[in-house]
Amino acid sequence: MAYFKDANEVYEFIGGLFADLAIDDDLGPKFRKANTIVQYRYSNPDSVITVKMIDGEDGQVDLGDTQLEPEVVMSMEADTAHKFWLGKVNVTVALARGQMKAKGPVAKILKLVPLVKPVFPRYRSMLEEKGRTDLAEA
Amino acid sequence: MEAGSELGARQMAGFKDFFQAANATRVIAGRDLLESTGFEFLKEGAKRAFVVTDKVIRETGLVDKVLAGCADGGLEVAGVFDDVPQDSSTEVVDRCAEEARAAGADSFLAVGGGSVMDTAKIADSVFTHGGSAAESEGFFLMPRAGDGAGEPLPIAPLACIPTTCGTGSEVSMGAVVKDHERKVKLEIADFPLFPRLAILDPESTRTLPPQLAASTGMDAMTHAIEGYVGLDWSPYQDGRSLVALRLIRENLERCVQTPDDVQARGNMLVAASLAITLNLGSTHSMSHPCGAHFGVPHGVANAINLPHVIRFNAEGGSDIADRYRDICELFDLETGGSDSAVGDALAAHVGAMTERMGLPSRLSQVGVPEEGIPDLVEGAMGDGLSLLNPREPTEEDYEELFKRAL
Repeated sequence: MAYFKDANEVYEFIGGLFADLAIDDDLGPKFRKANTIVQYRYSNPDSVITVKMIDGEDGQVDLGDTQLEPEVVMSMEADTAHKFWLGKVNVTVALARGQMKAKGPVAKILKLVPLVKPVFPRYRSMLEEKGRTDLAEA
Repeated sequence: MEAGSELGARQMAGFKDFFQAANATRVIAGRDLLESTGFEFLKEGAKRAFVVTDKVIRETGLVDKVLAGCADGGLEVAGVFDDVPQDSSTEVVDRCAEEARAAGADSFLAVGGGSVMDTAKIADSVFTHGGSAAESEGFFLMPRAGDGAGEPLPIAPLACIPTTCGTGSEVSMGAVVKDHERKVKLEIADFPLFPRLAILDPESTRTLPPQLAASTGMDAMTHAIEGYVGLDWSPYQDGRSLVALRLIRENLERCVQTPDDVQARGNMLVAASLAITLNLGSTHSMSHPCGAHFGVPHGVANAINLPHVIRFNAEGGSDIADRYRDICELFDLETGGSDSAVGDALAAHVGAMTERMGLPSRLSQVGVPEEGIPDLVEGAMGDGLSLLNPREPTEEDYEELFKRAL
């Protein structure tokens, strides 16, 4: 059974994390150095999150429909995304196995991977604060 | 936390949490094989091949020998595309695919170095599945059966005859070409890109200039060393890397010093085909922007950067240094010292080889200015292969490494 029951849950938790990072004084500017727009297309449940990370501009996180034109598209099951943010997915392995599919200049995204490690505990804490220990212990 | 479950967790020995190995290319190696090109390629389903090459190779007369080899076996040649530049592009790939279609080809035969073979691979994909080279970008994204989750759909038969001893593209599932419009190197990797056939005949490298033999050979050496030490190491690649290094040890300098040495040239072709892997690291991450920003030839950049990365990695932990110890042993170098001593020994050995073969040993010798370092650092940090380097490099680390290499 999938971790998230519907797209709204994906938006609340994973979308919420992206929104949190976009306004983070420390991490926000570092992510925006990627200078790109990434769209995450999740399945089971179907959901789309588009993140604008452009150097010198405010961050933007669109849930569902968007006017942003993504440069990189990452496709995966929402469960894989959830496990990633818990620190339980190795990106290079997931790409090699086809659990994550990346379209576009993937290097722009891969260089963000080292930056996200400090975010894992934050995601877990957010889930726990919202009373979703079931997800935090996935 | 269980080993390997943490993102990027380092696992340099033992039974790995995951690895994947695939070798889908039939390799034939030996003398006088070019004349059997048609006979061998027919076995892979080719009937009317489209030959992809470049003008330099064509002028050496090698392509004529291959064409004669096709005819002898009964393989029709639909046409010859010799417009591949040194650094091929999406535009060239699309044109190549279009010409192959117009010529009524049913297969591709690449005769050349990395640029030629990569052009043929992506052109074959565009030829088979439609679309354009730019749309083909990505890892493991080629069309698959079963709504994209099933088996990858094959492309038209592809055979490769490498004319350098470094890239290994003739047996790999990867390909790289430039997208001039977006100013990026477009990378594609997927199982169908494995050529069906690779023909390793020393005749195909007979006219390879010694400097090119040296730089492409150092590229193969870098593949072998990084493939053995990178995070995505596997027992399968270990075997290939170590045998490749043994062949490089015995044959690379002979190839450069005595270009007529057929044995050495043949063995270097084999070494390059064994060494190639997608498991590369910071040496390649540093060399890619050197090429993109300052036009430094890939093999030369690798030869310059490799010793510095070895020293950096060896100080990253005994589990990494132990892998370098294995390589030191193979080169009869000191293996019993501290981690940094092992790194120093191997780095010094690589540096000495580079100098003996007359290759530049500093980036400043090949047109890289000190003020170019920030761009190089940004490029290296943005290169996905940094993720496979056993010691995680920071921006500051890359800055220091480039300064040392300068």
